[in-house]
Parts: sequence; C-alpha cells; structure tokens
Amino acid sequence: MGLLISTVPLASGTAVLHPLDPAAAPLTPPAHPLAGTRMTGAEMIVQVLDDEGVPVLFGYSGGAILPTYDAVFVHNQRCEAAGRRGMPLIVPANEQGAGFMAAGYARASGRVGVAVVTSGPGATNMVTPVRDCLADSIPIVVLCGQVPTAAIGTDAFQEAPISQVMGAVAKHVFLVTDPTLLEATLRTAFEIARTGRPGPVVVDLPKDVQNWQGVFQGTGALPIPGYRSRLKHLRAQQLSAPACAEFFAQLALAQRPLLYVGGGVVNGNAAAELRRFAAAFGIPVVTTLMGIGAMDTTHPLSMHMLGMHGAAFANYAVEDCDFLIAVGARFDDRVAGVPAKFARGAKFIAHFDIDPSEINKVKRVGWSHVGEVDVALAVLRAHGESQGFAPDYSAWHAHCAALRRTHAFNYDRTSTMIQPYAVIEAINRLTRGQAIIATGVGQHQMWAAQYFDFAEPRLWLTSGSMGTMGFGLPAAIGAQFAHPERLVIDIDGDASVRMNLGELETATTYDLPVKVVVLNNFGDGMVRQWQKLFFKGRMSGSDKSLHKKDFVKAAQADGYAFAVRLDRVADIDATVKAFIEFQGPAFLEVIIDPDAGVYPMVGPGQSYEEMITGEFITSRHPVLVKAPDSSEMF
Amino acid sequence: MRHIIAIHLQNEAGALTRVAGLFSSRGYNIESLSVAATNDPIVSRLTLVTTGNDAVIAQIIHQLGKLVDVVQVEDMTQGLHHERELLLLKLRVPASQLAHLSTAISTAGGRVLADTLDHFVVELTSSEALVTRFVTEAAQFGEVLEVVRSGSLGIS
Repeated sequence: MGLLISTVPLASGTAVLHPLDPAAAPLTPPAHPLAGTRMTGAEMIVQVLDDEGVPVLFGYSGGAILPTYDAVFVHNQRCEAAGRRGMPLIVPANEQGAGFMAAGYARASGRVGVAVVTSGPGATNMVTPVRDCLADSIPIVVLCGQVPTAAIGTDAFQEAPISQVMGAVAKHVFLVTDPTLLEATLRTAFEIARTGRPGPVVVDLPKDVQNWQGVFQGTGALPIPGYRSRLKHLRAQQLSAPACAEFFAQLALAQRPLLYVGGGVVNGNAAAELRRFAAAFGIPVVTTLMGIGAMDTTHPLSMHMLGMHGAAFANYAVEDCDFLIAVGARFDDRVAGVPAKFARGAKFIAHFDIDPSEINKVKRVGWSHVGEVDVALAVLRAHGESQGFAPDYSAWHAHCAALRRTHAFNYDRTSTMIQPYAVIEAINRLTRGQAIIATGVGQHQMWAAQYFDFAEPRLWLTSGSMGTMGFGLPAAIGAQFAHPERLVIDIDGDASVRMNLGELETATTYDLPVKVVVLNNFGDGMVRQWQKLFFKGRMSGSDKSLHKKDFVKAAQADGYAFAVRLDRVADIDATVKAFIEFQGPAFLEVIIDPDAGVYPMVGPGQSYEEMITGEFITSRHPVLVKAPDSSEMF
Repeated sequence: MRHIIAIHLQNEAGALTRVAGLFSSRGYNIESLSVAATNDPIVSRLTLVTTGNDAVIAQIIHQLGKLVDVVQVEDMTQGLHHERELLLLKLRVPASQLAHLSTAISTAGGRVLADTLDHFVVELTSSEALVTRFVTEAAQFGEVLEVVRSGSLGIS
C-alpha cells in the first residue's frame, strides 16, 4: 500500500486521461502555439498562468520558488518588448497579505486569484487565506515552492509538509513530484478552483520540478474522474417540470414568501437571475452577510441582511414569513441561531444549492434542488410565468414596508462623539452603492454591512465564515487590481488593520488609489461588546487604550499623502468628502465613540425572538438581555 | 446504525489522509478502515465501517463526494452485500483445552496457521460479528496473546 500513502504520483506512462472519464476525452482544440517547445518547469508554470488569462500575481519570493519568480520576470520582460501586458507581481509585506489580495481580486472579479509563495513559512503563512477562501467558497490558486523532491521528508531548510497542512483547509492540494505532469496539474488546479462550489487549490512545487526541462504540451489535464463525473451530473441537474409544479403548488398556498439569499448567488453569478425571479413574483429578499449585493439593497423588495447582526426588520420578516426560499445559503449558525426556531412561521422551506451536503445539513427542507442556481431560477421563473402565476402579495409588501419603517437601523444622532454609523452614512452619500467595500472583522464590519448600500454583487468583500481580522486591507488591494477604475474602500477597525498593517505600504508602493478608513475605538470592539453583555464587563485582552500607535504618522511614514485624523462630529462631511475625492492612496483615522455597539444582536445560540435592538432601534417586544448558554457561545 | 462504506480513491499523494482527516475534523466515527489496490491501477478501494443516524451518514457520503480524489462512494448497507473480515489470532492454550479449541476453529471455519511449542496462530475469515464471537470463545480456552483484525471488507 506504499502507493497510496507515499508522495509518488501516478506512475509515469499512465495515460493522462482516465478511462472512466468520458468528459476528459480530448476535444482536439487547435494546438498551442508553443506546443513542442522545450521549457523549464518554471517557464511552463508561467505559460499556463498566461494561458489561463491571469493578469496579476500576488506573492513573496524565497529560495524554493526562485526559478518561478525568475521565469515571471523574463516573461514580463518579453511582454514589455512585445508591447503586451505581462503579469505584474505584487509583493505584500507578508504572504498572508498575498493570499487575501488574491482573494480580494477573486471576489471582486469572479475570476481565479493567484498567489505565488515560497516553501516553509511562506506557505504556512498562506494557510489562513486558504481556509478563509474555502469557508467563503472563493476560487484561488496558490503556488507554493517546495524543497527539491530528494530533500522532502528530511527536515530540510524551509521545509513544511504543505500537502498535509493544506489538505485539511483547501478544496484540493497537489504535490507535483513528476515534472511531466506539471502543466496538466496546473490546468487542473484552475479547473477545480473555479468549478462546482468554488474554492482554493494549492499546488506544491518542488524546486527541482521548476528547474526540470521538458517539452511543453500546451494541453491536457489530470484525470480526476470522480470530480468531473460529479460536476457533469451537477450540470445535468435541470429542474424538471414536476419539480417546478410542486414548488409553485406550495408557493400558491403561501401569503408571505421570503427569499433568503446567500453567497452562493454572488459566487454563482446568479444575482441578475435572482433579481428577475424576485421581481417576477414580487417576493421580498433578505440576504446573508455573504449574499450582500445579490439584491440591490435600495430595491423596494430588499429587506436587507438577516442574522446575528441583521436588520431588525429583516429578522422580523424571517419570523413572519410563511414560505422561505433559501438560495445559495446554508443556514449558518450566524444566521439560523437555533435552527429549530429559525423561521418558525414558515410552513414550507425550499432550498437551492450547488453543494448536496448543504441540503438538510442544518434544517430539514420540504423541497430542494442541487445544481447551478442561475439556471434553476431561470427555469423556475419561466415555469411560473408560463403558468400565469401572478400572486397578490400586496398585504405582505405593506407589512414588510411597515417593518422597514418602524424597525430601521438607527443610532444616537445627538451624541457629541463621532458615531461610526454616521461616518459610513457620510461615505455612502458620496458612493451611492457603487464603491467596492472591503472590511476587517468585528464591529466595523457589521456597521459597514448595515449602513452601506450595494447596488451590485461583488462590491462587498468580507471574511464571512472564517471571520479573519486583517482581511480588509489586502482584499481591497487585490480588488483594486480587478477594477483599477473603481473606488475601493477598506473599512477597517484599529485592531483588524493592525493584523496586516504592513500592507498599508503595499498600497503606496504600487500607487493604488485604495481608501483606508480606520474606525478607531481603541480596542477589539466586538469582543468588548460580548464582554459587556455576557462577561460582566471584564475586558480581558480587548482594551487597547494604552496602545501608543499614531495611525496617521504610521500612514505618513508609509507614504500616504492623504493621512488625516477625524475626531470632531462637525468635520465628518467635509473630511469624508476630501478623503473620497483624493486622487491616490488615502488614509483616514476616525476616533469613534468607544461604546458604540452593533445592534440589533441575536446572541450566539439564541433565537430571533431573543434579538436585542439596543437603545435606538425599535423592538417589536421587550427582550431581556441574557447570557447565552455557555456551551452554545461561539 | 452501522454502515459499511466503500470509497474508490485515486492513488494520489495525501488522498488517504484527506479521507481520514475528513472523518476526524467533522467528528465522524471510524470503526474500521481497510485500504488496498483494485483492478484499476490508479484506483484504490477503501472500506470503512462507521456508525451514525441517517442524517450523519448522508453528510458523510456528501462530504466524501466533495473530496477531489474520491472517484465513487458506495454505502453497501443500502442493499444486498457480502461482508468479510480477516482475523489473525495468537493464543496460548493448555493441552487440556486443545480439543475444545480445535472444535471451535472448525465450527467457525478457521484454520491453524502456526502451531509452535508456545502458541497457536489461527486464521478466520467471517463476518465481523462472528469474528468477534470467535475471539470471545477462543479466550475461554486459553490466553489470547494478540488479536489482529483487518476491518470489514464488503462487496455488493
């Protein structure tokens, strides 16, 4: 059984195409112009990246990846000489930054982001972004240098067992030990990253494989018969007419249907079809944190975000609906709270997802469809329209409108201290739902989710499932490469931004017009909020009021020509305007009310009826703040 | 409920680790696990015995289906299947019990692989339940020195 657990790949001479897999049959496309050319492994890597249309690489060099870095350099020189665009290599302060830049690029563009790092610490610094991308279903390909194959397993300098480490956190990981399979492996990595439920793929590249010389084929992929046959099956899963009929038969019994939309709609490029579906039948929409932008948040059918820090009116709509349609959403603990009590009034739940493991995982549903969600929604809408399904939800619409009015987001508008919500509202008045907003993790993340408008998908970049502090700044940098002409703003917290503060300099190094906002409340605000609510105010490890950092000086030192501290309410509008209109990288620190909280809040492991709305948002019924069951609290 | 799940797995670096890691990271139970080559040189068959309610088993099968190296997953407990486990048992038996042991071995369908001055090695291929029963029974006749079980294999 040495074969299975060893690092030896398929025996050389094994056909690249697997007999079990008809989908992998060669289509005889025109030969690659460089097919038959002798190249090094590193040159093949760069050629495949070029063939995949990768416009930018994010990465940090080091011994084991040097051959590939050199090949990128030579490639870019040749491109420049030929007058065509090469692949700029963007160097972060830390490899984690490169990972989140690739993720930010992928989230904003919908294309596969690529990071290239060295072995050992370079690769292990990439673990957090890879897990983050898996958790949020974001397609990236990470190329890691590795010590030469002969040195693997010898505790060599900068060696780490990356296929083991990443195997636990990536959608897939390859260790290339047979250089003749190198180009096929890279193509397959892109295929796996972007297809099905997207995710991160790691390719571990021993240095001798990069230095190997061989003949470039220009075509071919690895046999992954199981994966491809499941994918083929998934794509063949069309909604049948009886399934559509059953859906509408159930919907016809409902008076208060609600669409509950998650990141799958954004990742599946299904926002346009979702909007058509909602509009066709007049069904209101709540989105998850990851689903923000799937629906235009200013649309009359938008009921904004649900969940732990969702809008009170969104959560009340979930409580009041009698038919819930989950689309690309997975009843996550931040949304469903207590699954048994989630959407208690819903007599029927329907669920669309691309991943069969999500159906009935948390909440049992009455109707489900596994497949590509844009296709499914289009088929379903066409069925409903052809049957003349034209329900009258006017009472439900009026109810939702009243909920929106009565239980709107609100805060202390008379405070002499700057309220973070007011700053976001001031930015939003200028950006009007068109800016790309990246965030760190914590209170500022929730305030941004609550108070910004988002007209389109892929404008909202946040670490949803993993909740990685430090995500915002590098993600914003990556997004700026996806959309050089678009306004990209990182809304960050003082604690989150510290996590990847080195990337402040990356933005100025490449003269990216990224706008960085630090809402400074001198601590880990969300942690403090929980400690106030559930730990009798003991601020263990969360207070940073003794920290000495001068963020403005730090930004100036990193080359920010615009680095301003905003600490007076009266200055908000003028300062925000100057900041947003500044051409080039800009940094704004805002000294906010350190006691500003995130409301509403459904405590961890609590149900929506226990939602607290704070002092300034109207609650439907009085709720006592009580600590959640400690076993449920995470 | 007990399920025997057969997983066809590509012979790739780390493939077995990923299957085992899936079970440990998601808190699923593995009662036995056995892996060997198949007639397809690039595919191994991994046979795994696990327990769980229907929802847990459904999750296990769906999660296995998300592993790229997994070619096919089959829950054999769903239909007609044959299940066998190999036992190698080393035991020391006093002369007074030899006849009993011999009867027990032939009743169970086992055979003696080695008969030394010090101990016997007995081989038995049977269902998991009968193997367990035989080990208990044999222990009545002597001192069990070592129990080696392959884990269940199945074919449908």
